[in-house]
Amino acid sequence: MTFKKTDLLKLYRRMLEIRAVDNRLVPLKLKDLVMDGFHPCVGQEAVPVGVCWSLRPDDYVISTHRPQGHAQMKGASMEAIFCEMLGRMGGPSNGLGGPMQWVDTENNFFCGSIVGSGVSYSTGFALAAQREGKGRIAVCFFGDGASNTGSFHEGMNLAAIWHLPVLYICENNQYGEAMPVKEFVSVPKISARAAAYGLKGKTVDGMDVKKVAEAAAEAVTSLRKGKGPAFIETVTYRYRGHYLGDPENYRTKTEIESWRKKDPIDRLGRELVRTWKVTAAALKEIETEVEAAADKAQQAALDRPKPTLDFALSNVLVPVAGRNA
Amino acid sequence: MAERLLTYAEAIQEALDQEMARDSSVYVMGEDVAVWGNLFGCTKGLLKKYGKDRVRDTPISEAALMGCGVGSAAAGMRPVVEIMYIDFISIAMDQIINHAARWHQLSGGKVTVPVVVRTQGGVGFRNSSQHSQSLENWFVNVPGLVVVMPSTPYDVKGLLKAAIRNDNPVIFIEHKAIYRNKGPVPADDYIIPLGAAEVKRPGKDLTIVANSWMVLLALEAAGELARRGIDCEVIDPRTLYPLDEKTILESVRKTGRCLVVNEAPAAGGWSGEVSSVIMENAFSSLKCPVKRLCGRRTGVPYDKDLEREVVPSAADIVREACALAAE
Repeated sequence: MTFKKTDLLKLYRRMLEIRAVDNRLVPLKLKDLVMDGFHPCVGQEAVPVGVCWSLRPDDYVISTHRPQGHAQMKGASMEAIFCEMLGRMGGPSNGLGGPMQWVDTENNFFCGSIVGSGVSYSTGFALAAQREGKGRIAVCFFGDGASNTGSFHEGMNLAAIWHLPVLYICENNQYGEAMPVKEFVSVPKISARAAAYGLKGKTVDGMDVKKVAEAAAEAVTSLRKGKGPAFIETVTYRYRGHYLGDPENYRTKTEIESWRKKDPIDRLGRELVRTWKVTAAALKEIETEVEAAADKAQQAALDRPKPTLDFALSNVLVPVAGRNA
Repeated sequence: MAERLLTYAEAIQEALDQEMARDSSVYVMGEDVAVWGNLFGCTKGLLKKYGKDRVRDTPISEAALMGCGVGSAAAGMRPVVEIMYIDFISIAMDQIINHAARWHQLSGGKVTVPVVVRTQGGVGFRNSSQHSQSLENWFVNVPGLVVVMPSTPYDVKGLLKAAIRNDNPVIFIEHKAIYRNKGPVPADDYIIPLGAAEVKRPGKDLTIVANSWMVLLALEAAGELARRGIDCEVIDPRTLYPLDEKTILESVRKTGRCLVVNEAPAAGGWSGEVSSVIMENAFSSLKCPVKRLCGRRTGVPYDKDLEREVVPSAADIVREACALAAE
């Protein structure tokens, strides 16, 4: 896959967009405006940006309890993300979902806070897409921890036997909450589990947006041709704790620093300067623009109202006819 | 022309066949629904008529097949997912409770999840404690679900067709003891609205509210009670949620006495819900407290006689009704 300079600048900007939102969510959490369901994704930006690079608006994305990056890359605005995180009208679920579960109908995006569930229900979106026959696919993001759930194994087997167009993206960020992956996954690479279902599993550097985008593009092309599910493990890292307030007694500062050296944004920035002769000032300008957009989006969300009780009680059921039908 | 008789299982098959013919987004999926045509013949012949894409045998993976149903429903299809025994639904609960029941609301009403979960519960085949449970109460308590339990061939056809056309996730619970029961079922396309009870037998002395197989036992008991001079009104709510409170309350206001019969254990259940609805809305009409007659709080035993003894029988209903009538 070849990237033009404009592509790389766009990838760079998109990673900054995710980071800018996440960085603002931290102080909002400290003010109790965003609640504990907020799971920071700083450090992992290359994965959603790289994967969504090849997606069409009509593709489905199924995400996790850490959905903010995926959602933004699938089409949600910064303001929509802030609204949902803050529990305000204007979020995809108008603030009823909060930081880890929402439905963004316009962008064909679903996420939820039950680890592993999406691997099973993504098969349904893929089945509908397969039946439609227009090359649409479902992308299912999940973490390292999900690979130990029954839903993961059941869902992947079903997708494999029915050749469903699901792209599985494992975000291996090294920890399932506080437990290191090597202590709870029985194989050195999670991608090895794909082989159990006859799928080729691939492990890529999740701190390199180009590597992620290349692997995803190849898989997406194959999926659109009807060649069955694909599995990519992205090796990545979250700089912040599982949640804000995580004591982080399971890892060292040295370890965090060693991952920060691989930072996907810095890495692409260096390449843009060295290879593509983009000036540091030009990169700074992108950052300034993104920061300004994030500030504006955050303020717009803070100005939005919370949902009312009436709204929280609505849309529970589609009205049922009853006796007088 | 003589009435056409079908078994409960045949009525289900006809409902599925008609809905699949009417709407190409309807498809059937589950363990052994295609080649076998379901354990009781409920999906017999559908594979031949509609092909493998619309009649899908699945692996024994309840989470995955339920997830597939839920996801495809949100993506515009109308799946009828079969869980062979309701006991197996425990494996699929996450997909139903956390996803199917939530998405309509989380999408602000834009996404609908029109999945029908067909399953069967109850005693009758000596299937013991992991294949004979009555678990309907679990679903009645979850916002976002419709729960249907038909008792007759006529009802099962009309209600299944309504469930398939309904835009909510519908838990559609059949009963293994009544699949071979025959009854009049018109061949035409008729719908029984969800959320509508039926007075199965009018009476003036006492109201019996029962569901599923218990409706049939209640009607049998009502015959015996009539011989003893007690005229029972038997109500089958047919849909457990949303409950047709109006029909129940009208009856109780007339009779002043009510027995609620449910095969599931009483504690925390739908039988208590029915009882509360009556107490809260028709207390002044009651001549005596509402009485529940429910399954015993135990695992269903394997023995042929014992499995019947732990759930209400027609004789139990007669006994309880006589006691209520005497109060």
